[in-house]
Amino acid sequence: MTSGENYLTHGKGIRSWLLTVDHKRIGIMYLGLIAFSLFLGGVFAMVVRFHLWNPGGGLVSNDAYNKMFTLHGAVMIFLFVIPGIPSAMGNFVVPLMVGAKDVAFPRVNLLSFWLFVGGAVLFVATLVVGGIDTGWTLYPPYSLESSRGLGILLALTGVFLAGFSSILTGVNFIATIHKMRAPGQGWFDLPLFLWALYATGIIQIFATPVLGITVALGFLERVFHLGIFMPEYGGDPVLFQHFFWFYSHPAVYIMILPAMGIVSEVVAVFSRKPIFGYKFIAMSSIAIAVIGFLVWGHHMFVSGQSKWANVIFSFLTLLVAIPSAIKTFNWLATMYKGHIVLKTPMLYVLSFFAIFGVGGLTGLFLGALATDIPLHDTYFVVAHFHFVMVGAVMIAFLSGLFYWWPKMTGRMYDERLGVASALLIFVGFNVTFIPQFLAGTRGMPRRYATYAEQFQGLNRLSTVGSLLLAAGLIVALWAFVKSLRSGARAPANPWGGATLEWATPSPPPHDNFAVAPRGVHPYDYTGLRHVSEEAGWEPVRKEGAP
Amino acid sequence: MIRLPDLLAGSLIAAGPGYMPERASSVAEGVDHVFGLLFWISAFFMVVIVGFTILFVIRYRARPSRTGPEASPDHSTRLEIFWSAIPLALVFVIFAASTKVYFAMVESDPGSAPQRVQVTGRRWSWWFDHAGGKGSKELHVVVGKPVELVLASTDVIHSLYVPEFRLKQDAVPGRFTRMVFTPTVAGSYPVLCTEYCGTNHSTMTSVVVVHPDQASFDAWAAEGKGGDETLLEVGVRVFGEKGCSACHSTDGSAGVGPSVKGIWGKEEKITTGATIRVDENYIRESIVKPGAKISAGYEDMMPPIPLDDREIQGIVAYIQSLKDGP
Repeated sequence: MTSGENYLTHGKGIRSWLLTVDHKRIGIMYLGLIAFSLFLGGVFAMVVRFHLWNPGGGLVSNDAYNKMFTLHGAVMIFLFVIPGIPSAMGNFVVPLMVGAKDVAFPRVNLLSFWLFVGGAVLFVATLVVGGIDTGWTLYPPYSLESSRGLGILLALTGVFLAGFSSILTGVNFIATIHKMRAPGQGWFDLPLFLWALYATGIIQIFATPVLGITVALGFLERVFHLGIFMPEYGGDPVLFQHFFWFYSHPAVYIMILPAMGIVSEVVAVFSRKPIFGYKFIAMSSIAIAVIGFLVWGHHMFVSGQSKWANVIFSFLTLLVAIPSAIKTFNWLATMYKGHIVLKTPMLYVLSFFAIFGVGGLTGLFLGALATDIPLHDTYFVVAHFHFVMVGAVMIAFLSGLFYWWPKMTGRMYDERLGVASALLIFVGFNVTFIPQFLAGTRGMPRRYATYAEQFQGLNRLSTVGSLLLAAGLIVALWAFVKSLRSGARAPANPWGGATLEWATPSPPPHDNFAVAPRGVHPYDYTGLRHVSEEAGWEPVRKEGAP
Repeated sequence: MIRLPDLLAGSLIAAGPGYMPERASSVAEGVDHVFGLLFWISAFFMVVIVGFTILFVIRYRARPSRTGPEASPDHSTRLEIFWSAIPLALVFVIFAASTKVYFAMVESDPGSAPQRVQVTGRRWSWWFDHAGGKGSKELHVVVGKPVELVLASTDVIHSLYVPEFRLKQDAVPGRFTRMVFTPTVAGSYPVLCTEYCGTNHSTMTSVVVVHPDQASFDAWAAEGKGGDETLLEVGVRVFGEKGCSACHSTDGSAGVGPSVKGIWGKEEKITTGATIRVDENYIRESIVKPGAKISAGYEDMMPPIPLDDREIQGIVAYIQSLKDGP
């Protein structure tokens, strides 16, 4: 290691964090808030699961239950899944991966962080004034009825602010990837995580404004009764659904594309082989981003939408299966004849394959009209999107966090705890959500505070699974806390990664690199050799070099 | 003797297609076939994904006897085309199979003259106005007789769902939506609400009673009749009270506005030159926003008439009753 100074020790005091324009510190602050949001959303989820232990509910009132699932959804989606990977990990590694000192617009980055804080504070304020029970989807007329007070207005404003935070992050990443790549780093020398964030940025910039407009219109409708969404003033509630899903379906790809990016990095590094089919993986991210804009109507197959619109949306939705399949097969092919190292990040990625497989394939049931009509708004849908958003995204988030943790903190974590967390989360996740597929197939609708007797066994199994899942998350948290307290010093390159973030010390210095690096092939591992567990991987010394 | 593959396949079916509820409508079997097709395609791909993952981890994991990766290509256009083409072909198969069944789910057989039932969703119960005028909290239909539900909501969005029929349709305030089906098995099935609507969303339930024959239905329809005003009676009353008859005749004679006799289901020219079909949504719009689509040859002079949902349904029922004239 070079001199003692790094980005963590550069500048002291609370102000040096809160007003920092250093992308690494902003990433760490995002990580803290996002982890807190995950905790908060998780607590709401546990209340929901315990309430459903008995068919008649009984833990809380129906109204309180309705608030719980609403807040669970809203907090998890707007404050954990959407910003999770891009804002926390993206902020930290994007400039490092292109060999830059910072993102293109560091001050905008800080603004984006504070907008996110504003959004989060408003969500907490919503809680304080009594919460909302509209469902995270906020469908009018229910969400905008005149009896609603401050809660809904605070929540709409919170979504608006969080949305702008997301847009600014997207702008920053796209500009950084375009303009700040290291000398010699062409587009096809970019790590696939950056291709994924680039595709994500496109969606953030083009789709999120529609969310902003929608919630702003909702706000104005509630206050001034303009007659946009509310039938009693001459508006159309289905129009809201179009606007909402025009953002919120692409938002699913804001969540999953960065997750896929992490998987691409980790699977290559821990197979010690170049990623298979680089260009196909990169282009499939772009394809998903583009097709993702054209499928929103599949949320409205039973809303009374025209038959032909349904048929077209169904076809476009099914097409998303193809780029998703291409990615999956390329990841598997990367492992072929590799040297597979089963460390924690890789274990998470292996469980991602199975869970994303189920999540993606069950999407076919909901894209196909004949099966969507019975399954729509049942627990089948709940299970499907949890497989994608929790299973796939959260597991990839944890994979990335274990993978970059040594870089972020300069400390290694306890491998046994990491492995235990990955296994517990995989088992707990499946025990929680597989029964929900069965309940939905059998006809249990979602958002039910009480349910028919026949579903009791499945619901109890699901609740037991959620306890395992929570235990897995606690073990992961324990691994991180223990690492901060007593973890071994991390070498610059503990995994033998070839992307540029591994070419600088852990944690990186304030300016990222002592000498501006040149672009390298991100998946060429031939120039690295393993020194020892403590020293990690180092570049092979070239013949004749000093 | 029980063989392991049978046991595996058996438990897979029990966990997937075998988990569907009973079938009680003409489209249920088609839906289940599509479900089965998707299930087996998914099962196949899961076996491929998980199988290769496990195989590769076992064969290629780092261990003392394996010190590094073996040389292998890092791309193959032929493979990429192979594993893009197979999902693409399957997407076409799934789309074709699903869409064919879907058309049967949303269209009644041509010429089948379904029984119309007006459905009203409200927090937190359903109300069904049957064709003969009988209103009930339960839906009553007859085995083998096609039914057309016309759904409305008086407050927020609800969604009518009968798992055994494999059908679901939102009831949206401010418009009418439609659902068609033909029940195939006599019995009672739960009617659920599947669009979140507040406190008692989960108990907004009803029952659809499928009568084994018309006589059984007629006997039910005759019970306790004459209590509530039927939709048709509401329509006749409102048509008089609101002064509709001043401009709209009910016998086909010309007036300030078009006669309402015999217009139900007709294609009508409007002043913009376009053609519209006179259905419940057009009638609702013509009452709430009369100027939106004016019948060709008439002036835009009718004021909006504030009617509640039930009154609008009544007018619809009245205009419908004037279809074939006395």
